[in-house]
Amino acid sequence: MSTRINPDFKNELTHFGKDEWNECYHCGNCTAICPLSKDGFLFPRKDLRAIQMGLQDKLDASLEPWLCYYCGECSETCPRDANPAELMMTLRRYLTSRYDKSGLAKLFYTNHIWEYVVLGLMFLAIVVAFLVFLPLKTDAALMVNESGGVMINSLVEGINAERFIGIIEYGDWTMAIVIALLLVSNIVVMFYKSVLSENGIRIPFSSYFTEAWQLVWNFATQSRFSKCDDKQYWIGHLLLMTGYTIMFILVVVFLPLFQIETVEPWWHWQRLLGYYATFGILFFLTIVTIKRLQKRDVKLKYSHPSDWIFIVMLALTTISGILVHIFRLQGMVAATYYTYVIHLAILVPMLMVEVPFSKWSHLAYRPFAIYFARLKTVAAEVEKEKSHKELVPAVGS
Amino acid sequence: MEKTRIGVYVCWCGTNIAMMVDVEAVAKEMESRQNVVLARTYKYMCSDPGQDMVIRDIKEHKLNRVVIAACSPRIHENTFRKALENAGLNPYMLQMANIREQNSWVHSDRIEATRKAKSLVAGAVSRVNHHQPLNKREVPVNPASLIIGGGISGITAALELADAGKRVYLVEKESELGGIAAMLDLTSPHFYSISDSLKTLIRRIEVHQNIKVYMDSQVKQINGYVGNFNGEIKIGNKKVKNIDFGNIVVATGLKPIKPETIENYGYGVFSEVITSLDFEQVLKKGSVLNAYGIKPKNVAIIHCVGSRNEDYKPYCSRTCCMTALKYANMIRSALPEANVYQMYADMRAYGKHCEELYADTSGKNVLFLMYDQREGMPIIEKDAIGPGVLIKFNERLSGEDIEVPAELVILMTAMESGKDAKSISQMTGTSLDANGFFIEKHPKLDPVSTTTDGVYVVGSCQSPKNIPESVSQARAATANILATIAKGYVEVEVITAEVNEDICCGCQFCIQVCPYGANNYDQRKAVSSVNEALCKGCGTCGSACPSGAISTRHFTDKQILSQIEGIMAEVGSG
Amino acid sequence: MEYNPTIVSFLCNWCSYTGADLAGTSRMKYASNIRVIRVMCSGRIDPTFVLKAFTEGADGVLLCGCHPGDCHYHEGNYKCLRRFHLLQKYLDQMGVDKKRIRLEWISASEGKEFAELANEFSETIKKLGKSNIKEEMKVEDKKSPESAVHRPARMGLQSTVES
Ligand SMILES: Cc1cc2nc3c(=O)[nH]c(=O)nc-3n(C[C@H](O)[C@H](O)[C@H](O)COP(=O)(O)OP(=O)(O)OC[C@H]3O[C@@H](n4cnc5c(N)ncnc54)[C@H](O)[C@@H]3O)c2cc1C
Ligand code: SF4
Ligand code: SF4
Ligand code: SF4
Ligand code: SF4
Ligand code: SF4
Ligand code: FES
Repeated sequence: MSTRINPDFKNELTHFGKDEWNECYHCGNCTAICPLSKDGFLFPRKDLRAIQMGLQDKLDASLEPWLCYYCGECSETCPRDANPAELMMTLRRYLTSRYDKSGLAKLFYTNHIWEYVVLGLMFLAIVVAFLVFLPLKTDAALMVNESGGVMINSLVEGINAERFIGIIEYGDWTMAIVIALLLVSNIVVMFYKSVLSENGIRIPFSSYFTEAWQLVWNFATQSRFSKCDDKQYWIGHLLLMTGYTIMFILVVVFLPLFQIETVEPWWHWQRLLGYYATFGILFFLTIVTIKRLQKRDVKLKYSHPSDWIFIVMLALTTISGILVHIFRLQGMVAATYYTYVIHLAILVPMLMVEVPFSKWSHLAYRPFAIYFARLKTVAAEVEKEKSHKELVPAVGS
Repeated sequence: MEKTRIGVYVCWCGTNIAMMVDVEAVAKEMESRQNVVLARTYKYMCSDPGQDMVIRDIKEHKLNRVVIAACSPRIHENTFRKALENAGLNPYMLQMANIREQNSWVHSDRIEATRKAKSLVAGAVSRVNHHQPLNKREVPVNPASLIIGGGISGITAALELADAGKRVYLVEKESELGGIAAMLDLTSPHFYSISDSLKTLIRRIEVHQNIKVYMDSQVKQINGYVGNFNGEIKIGNKKVKNIDFGNIVVATGLKPIKPETIENYGYGVFSEVITSLDFEQVLKKGSVLNAYGIKPKNVAIIHCVGSRNEDYKPYCSRTCCMTALKYANMIRSALPEANVYQMYADMRAYGKHCEELYADTSGKNVLFLMYDQREGMPIIEKDAIGPGVLIKFNERLSGEDIEVPAELVILMTAMESGKDAKSISQMTGTSLDANGFFIEKHPKLDPVSTTTDGVYVVGSCQSPKNIPESVSQARAATANILATIAKGYVEVEVITAEVNEDICCGCQFCIQVCPYGANNYDQRKAVSSVNEALCKGCGTCGSACPSGAISTRHFTDKQILSQIEGIMAEVGSG
Repeated sequence: MEYNPTIVSFLCNWCSYTGADLAGTSRMKYASNIRVIRVMCSGRIDPTFVLKAFTEGADGVLLCGCHPGDCHYHEGNYKCLRRFHLLQKYLDQMGVDKKRIRLEWISASEGKEFAELANEFSETIKKLGKSNIKEEMKVEDKKSPESAVHRPARMGLQSTVES
């Protein structure tokens, strides 16, 4: 079967980042230099080609963009300055929008005003909800514990600490489940497009389990990223990722243990973990912001609005979180309450919008793509072995 | 008589010879041969120090014969003859042994190659013993020139010579001057209108007092030799005119092949499919429309149609890649919304400003799709759902089988040599290569001369060329011609036959075999004699003469027989 | 070990010698037992040369000229062709296998063809083995004081050596 080419397709991609597709003359230097391109998954040239020719189905099925960690080496090598690394980034945005069937991801990527609107509305909703349903107590004295710290769960009028933490926990879980459902459905789409819909591929059932460690391992260590030549980014990214995950787990799973009325000494596990996470996130954010502004590194030269939204939201969340912590320690009741509300009003929309519909989804897609890629490789190996076995007696006879 | 003193020089040619031939061993072996005074090796014999060494040795060691074992005599025999002359020795006292083209480059066993080199050099040594000094003959040059073909190359050559005050006969078989260039709209890579400049040039030719143009004419016969040619020109269908000239410029160009022979492209079947020259005419009309008069939304340009394919033309037609890019640009500006596809095999953007044109074009939203003729050529068929045709092939850069809709398809057809090339090469004593293009004397060092002195081949009759290359060649040839005219005389081959009247038995075999009628029979003396002005030295009469009365100078029986003896003599191994 | 013959080859200057040079510039490999002698035209190839090569010990003789119609001197190659047939007959009568002599047309662009021809002819001659003409000539030479190469002239093949 031959595919009819569609040169107009590339116009659809322009809002996802890179908008120039003509420079590449397919010398293949990028694929040759890429430290991650191997084992039947060759990129970035082939993806660039698929875009130029408008081979949309092929692109939708491709896992390669997720296998790229944007080290930028390809772009540095390209004799035509075709910037293939940025192309892979663009494709990740495009794929995110393709996995999401609600159309929101596409809307946010191609028209970021909508993203601001949704973020803003959610922000307002949360602030208003707090002010109306969970207002600050008037009696400030009851809200400070014996060591002088603010008792964060006891700030709300008419609701005791247990009730309050219950409400927040309930909200947390709801949000986590919604996000998870959205992500899982997207991953199912990804699985369908990249693995199931490919003809003639049969994944051995056992490999789903034997390869599962890839998922966990890659999620936890980002070991693929470490194969890029410049290790700095891997370390930075790992700091951010672990910090973020720790925070997420603390806040969602261990909220009652984390958000407590007493102020533990600074060496308490819960505070240490919190500090590590804050440091990890802040450190990476600072570096990335500076580099994005400097526009010197290939990797961080081109910033899509979604990249900035991501940075700004994360920074605001972190800063407001730090402020809550400081105000608590200082016993500043009102300040603690209001920053806490603002913190939540930033955090929730950030997670709700960014994780399933935007840049943060990559935290799920990446390890899954690696897992799916492994499955396909295993399938191919099995196939090869089979045909080899069939050949052997033929040769012998 | 003076004693024979031979110097033998074995060239390394860098590693070209030395790698496959033990040059020292060859030289050593020659030292012991009769009359050899010295045998040396040197890195590059043709270099100045190499030649100086020969000259010094001739003077110091009173050498009177020289053997040089090096590259083909067709490359450097003249170089070394000049060296001998500079040393005061007759240039014909040289013999070369070809141990590069016919030895080190074609063999892979060093011992065998060395043994063969020894034999060849021994043959040369043995032959040079019998060399005779020969005196060069000088003949005056007729300053008029004949130019065959009135394309851009012929026109340039004609004007150059005529402006220098020399008579030019320009023979064009068509009824218009200009050749292919006259059919072009703008030219790559500069989008410059060649037809405008051609018009000016043609007008100048028409009124030039030194140029006689014969339109609708063909050269029928050419006789003579450098400086003194004579030719017959048939004008139209009737008149035959006889003219004399001293030099010949062949500029007969090329022509596009007939794409009907390549069935998969459907030329002649689908009106959407046209050739590059057809498209030039479309462009000249000023708007890009297909045969149905509609503006195409998809334009496909297919490269290498009939080129670089063993079944059609194995060579690259060289100008079509750039012409195709030119089209892409022109279509882009005429139809900004159209999709433009280049279906290419390799992009050959050689030459000044060409890579730039390629880069520039690829920035203009032109889709380059690569195919491989070995994997199958693009196939054009009717589009079942669209208005035009579909082009189907395997796109190499993606590995996908694709189909491309198009309402206009331009075939970059291969160029082949003109159909008269054969007869012109026979008339002028030049050769054609396997593809029917004229062979130049040396592809690098002498790219416009031919092995026949006084005959030059310029422009695309030599191989497909673009306009600047054609023009440069035309100018190069005229510079050569003007130099010979300025000198006033040419040295002609002294390798002619001579009859020893004492031995001649008067059988007149020689008269029968000579293709130039150079042999005459003297009734009174009852012997034959050779007219040296007519004799070209082929030696045929020499091999026909039963009494051994004729010898061809520099290729005498004695010389060749002794060369055979030398070659067959035992040589030491290792 | 296989017998490695010696082959003498006469090439005309304009086409065949240039073709053989082209085989070199194209770095085509061929049998190293070919020894080339350049003549201006295949028409210059005197039967004496061929006989001389055999009597000097050559196992095969290869003649090459321009393709018919391409001879630099118009028709030297036709003359050569005529002589070649006579020469084959003559060799046959002398008891020499006529496959030991071969005439082919090689143009200036046929480097590949020349290399192939050289290999092919070398194989043919290898199969025929060593030629014994030289030995026989030596025996006869003792009987007659004349040089062997004079013989063809007397036998009516129009050629001789300068004395
Ligand atoms: C479609 C196309 C597009 C091109 N575009 C470009 C371009 O954009 N830029 C560029 O630089 N080059 C271009 N070229 C190449 C350019 O046309 C040639 O380089 C140039 O025309 C060569 O000129 P010429 O004089 O050597 O040969 P020709 O133009 O072929 O002229 C040969 C002349 O000799 C005449 N002739 C032939 N045989 C005889 C005979 N036996 N007796 C008398 N006369 C004879 C012919 O009638 C003709 O007039 C293009 C070529 C083609 C086909
Ligand atoms: S993106 Fe650059 S390096 Fe990669 S194939 Fe294209 S031109 Fe070459
Ligand atoms: S950015 Fe790095 S990982 Fe991604 S394709 Fe380029 S070289 Fe490979
Ligand atoms: S110039 Fe280009 S299109 Fe023409 S034959 Fe050569 S490679 Fe093909
Ligand atoms: S062929 Fe020889 S012998 Fe006969 S006429 Fe000519 S020169 Fe004299
Ligand atoms: S050498 Fe050739 S051209 Fe000269 S006279 Fe003899 S046959 Fe004629
Ligand atoms: S010149 Fe080659 S055969 Fe006459």
